[in-house]
Amino acid sequence: MMRLTCPFCGARELHEFQFHKTAPEPGANPFAAVYERVNRTDISQEYWQHLHGCRAWLYVSRNPSTGEVYQVHLLGTQS
Amino acid sequence: MTLRRALSTRRGHRVTSQSVSFQFDGREYTAQAGDTVASALLAHGVRLFGRSVKYRRPRGVFAAGPEEPNALLTVGTQPCVIPNVSAPQLAITPQLITRSQNRWPSLRVDLHALLQAGSGFLGAGFYYKTFMWPSWRTYETMIRHLAGLGEAPGAADIAPPHVEYVSCDVLVGGAGAAGLAAALAAARAGARVVVCEREPQAGGELEFETATIDEQSATEWVSSALAELARAGARVLYHTAIVGGSDGLVIAHAEPGGGAKDNTVYRIRPQKFVMAMGAVERGIAFVDNDRPGVMLLGAAERYLARYGVAVGKELVLFGNHDRLYASAQRLHAAGMRIRAIIDTRGDVSAVTIGLRARLTGMGVECLGGHAVAEVHGAHGVRRICVVDLQAPGTKIFIECDALLVSGGWTPMLQAALHDGGQREFAAQAGGFVANAQPEWRTAVGACAGTFELSVLLTESFRAAAQLSQSVGAMGVVGRAPVGRGDTAPQLQAFWRSACTRAQEKRQFVDLQNDVTVADLRLALSEGFVDIEHIKRYTTLGIGTEQGRTGGLLGAAIVAELKGEPLSRVGVSRTRPPYQPMTLSSLAGLNQGDALRVTRRTPLHAWNQANGAVFEPAEYWLRTRYYRANGTDAFTAGIQEATQVRAHGGILDGSTLGKIEIAGADAAAFLDRLYLTKASTMKVGRSKYMVNLREDGMVLDDGIVLRLAPNRFLATTGSGHAEHMLSHFEHYRALEWSHRQVAITNLTEAWAVIVVAGPESRAALIRVLGEAWHARLSGLTHMDFSVSRWNGQTLRVLRASFSGELAFELHCQHGIAVPLWEALVAAGLQPYGLEALDILRVEKGYLVSSEMNGEATPQDLGMDGLVNLGNECVGRAMLGRPAFAEPQRPRLVGLRACDGKSVIQGGAQITLTTTDTHALGHVSSSVYSPALGQWIALAFVARDRAAPGTVLVARDPLRGTDVDVVVTSPVHVDSSSERMKA
Ligand SMILES: [Zn+2]
Repeated sequence: MMRLTCPFCGARELHEFQFHKTAPEPGANPFAAVYERVNRTDISQEYWQHLHGCRAWLYVSRNPSTGEVYQVHLLGTQS
Repeated sequence: MTLRRALSTRRGHRVTSQSVSFQFDGREYTAQAGDTVASALLAHGVRLFGRSVKYRRPRGVFAAGPEEPNALLTVGTQPCVIPNVSAPQLAITPQLITRSQNRWPSLRVDLHALLQAGSGFLGAGFYYKTFMWPSWRTYETMIRHLAGLGEAPGAADIAPPHVEYVSCDVLVGGAGAAGLAAALAAARAGARVVVCEREPQAGGELEFETATIDEQSATEWVSSALAELARAGARVLYHTAIVGGSDGLVIAHAEPGGGAKDNTVYRIRPQKFVMAMGAVERGIAFVDNDRPGVMLLGAAERYLARYGVAVGKELVLFGNHDRLYASAQRLHAAGMRIRAIIDTRGDVSAVTIGLRARLTGMGVECLGGHAVAEVHGAHGVRRICVVDLQAPGTKIFIECDALLVSGGWTPMLQAALHDGGQREFAAQAGGFVANAQPEWRTAVGACAGTFELSVLLTESFRAAAQLSQSVGAMGVVGRAPVGRGDTAPQLQAFWRSACTRAQEKRQFVDLQNDVTVADLRLALSEGFVDIEHIKRYTTLGIGTEQGRTGGLLGAAIVAELKGEPLSRVGVSRTRPPYQPMTLSSLAGLNQGDALRVTRRTPLHAWNQANGAVFEPAEYWLRTRYYRANGTDAFTAGIQEATQVRAHGGILDGSTLGKIEIAGADAAAFLDRLYLTKASTMKVGRSKYMVNLREDGMVLDDGIVLRLAPNRFLATTGSGHAEHMLSHFEHYRALEWSHRQVAITNLTEAWAVIVVAGPESRAALIRVLGEAWHARLSGLTHMDFSVSRWNGQTLRVLRASFSGELAFELHCQHGIAVPLWEALVAAGLQPYGLEALDILRVEKGYLVSSEMNGEATPQDLGMDGLVNLGNECVGRAMLGRPAFAEPQRPRLVGLRACDGKSVIQGGAQITLTTTDTHALGHVSSSVYSPALGQWIALAFVARDRAAPGTVLVARDPLRGTDVDVVVTSPVHVDSSSERMKA
């Protein structure tokens, strides 16, 4: 099972987190942000919440083909 | 019921002389403590353990582990049964009751088998091809009765498993020679080690090994290795099989009946995983190779060594490698009579020639370059037919009652082929072995294709030492264990004996699923080429044994039939769980009361004591109605709603979601998230507000109170609080992380009592006291006031969800029950959700039936709110042209034209009674006591939504068509005079 590393809580099991949706492309207009989603196999930028933990909202970049998690950072902070 | 005569005490390293008993097919059998059901029944001379799934052919025990394809039993009695338990793994426990499967009316006489005898064989896809007219469904019930493995339990009362989370540096799967060597290296290096072994004992193939390790016998070495591991703090979990996992998590399961750690699911997070699961012996296909008495050679040896059970009186061994001879010597030494050894190999080493001579001297006929072609004996092996592979015409018949087969060993790659793990073809193993693996995983021993003891000890020891170093365990590991006296098995691939096309229907490849060579040939001729497709079409390897004994054999025969090398055909992948688990084990702790939370309000106990009938609403338990008010929900709801409009009533509204938004930027934050502005609200006032999803659909509604300049309380629908909390937090993180917004869920901090009805104000004043008189009289609609009552905080909000003069009392828990009881004493009757629904539909108020995720604010008649022009989340989407199209449904009211017909919720709205094009649907409907007729809220296409339009509410499911007339959604008191009284 995939794990995510919460910036506050460390590496935690997936069932502590709740997936929200993939993030829209930066600067997308409202219609594109809702309906015109890319579906890349090599990278997926996603919103997750550490719902059953510290409740932090996270921005996760990962590879949906391999399950590799590239990066997790707090939503609203730039890394 | 007769107790079977006790047999003389057997000696084996797993059994003691203590006697136990169990039931099989209604009969008592004695056994010795430590026996499995398979060993005990074999000791009693039982050969028939069940019938096969498709042809109902008699079947006996074939193996001695989870690879058992035939001897699957149902344990227990309905409704508490576990089907498909492998008899060789089923430990005998007190009061154990077992039954054979796939037979009716009895194991000896099976009706289906008799039918089969007349009709010939059912090829691959037979059911799907034959039962097509008029449709598969016509036959499904009957076929399901005849097909399938075992029976499902009638009740969910198997105890939930224990679930244990384990983390370690090195996990070793398998405690055979390779696994123990790896565990020793890791433990010596200082790594935290966990070993999972599916058997109740360590050692694996070393159980029979005559070679020595570190100058000790193999079994002595196992004991000393285990002792060293124990001293080093390593954990060895017996009876625990690795059954799945992904992304670095490994799931292991200790089966029920396994002892101290009975039915435990381990979720293991290792840094490194050493796969040393070994290999499992496979059979060879020949005609009628499924008869009871045909058994894997290794299984026969295990029954003898572990339980002292002789699987036959006259044995023949059949195989394609050197280990046949060592086995024959051991079986002979134990006093078993061996008639012959049939070795498919013509050319053998000098050592083997010597062994043959020695065995011949003992009276064993050794036939090199021969193969078993056919078995005779319908209910068990009586005689075999052997052919000379060089001269196929010559037949030799040998009388025997057990034929022990060994076609080689198939590496257990289940765990190695997931998460990107690769395999390769290895000729010396006659099959596929693990190669490239993700960096956290490595395969050793037979899994990696190494069968020679001296080599695999060194290889796996070194591999584990290296892995341990990579995770920082740098201790001195010393030298690897040294094995001596073992040789490679010199296997020469041999998959099936020659036979006629007709006989291919009786050459079984997968015993559990009755897949024959004929099925494989048929699948190929019908265009199934890929081994994964062939698996699904023929059911090769899909059963509980997951292709352990037949998967590779099937692939090899496909290769032969296609004329392709096996390396190109490949072998199908096993899905987890690799070994059967009950659904209860898979669910883990997520079952029963632990599946989800149940929340009860502070008034729950009072409600329960006063005849409330509860209804789950999301995770809450809410009062539907009170028994005193009617015999059922319908009559009680009408009584309670009538009472509210006539006098007054109280409702437990504690489930209302309450989220506090505070901070310097709170008002601006709410302006962004709600369709209308919160910032324009005065302190002490409240406002009905709606929020939208990003796509413009209405998400939720509620009243927002401004408690202080920088403090708001947003109420949400019951059961929506968690979701709305996440929604608020998401936008705060996304857009407001550098500003001051604090969000707190106070849903469970406040109890809520709704007081509604024309007499509500007067009753409240009587209860709260004269001090509240002026305060309450001064409250206009949507005002609120905060003070204290009986020492605790009480907030009174004048707001209505019923259309009556009404107040929401938000109070601290300590005063909830006294306040409620005082209100009852003041003459207010409690009401429940049934009445609430009547009152709100009469007044045209919305719940999730209307805010269903497909409705924009305009659809719900909130054009006025939209026109205020607040730029909130989702607003940009409201201008889309599709939302203004004339066919787009919007909210209306409906009444039956005849004033008495029932309008059903969910009915489709059409123009005529014959029309099948829906203009919309009924979202809510109630019988309105205020109007004396059924009324509804519905969505109807805008161009047909003018009040007065006559339409039809069609409900084909219940067979009703009702003429309805469109009205305003507000059925009662459209000018809100009652509410503002
Ligand atoms: Zn966290």
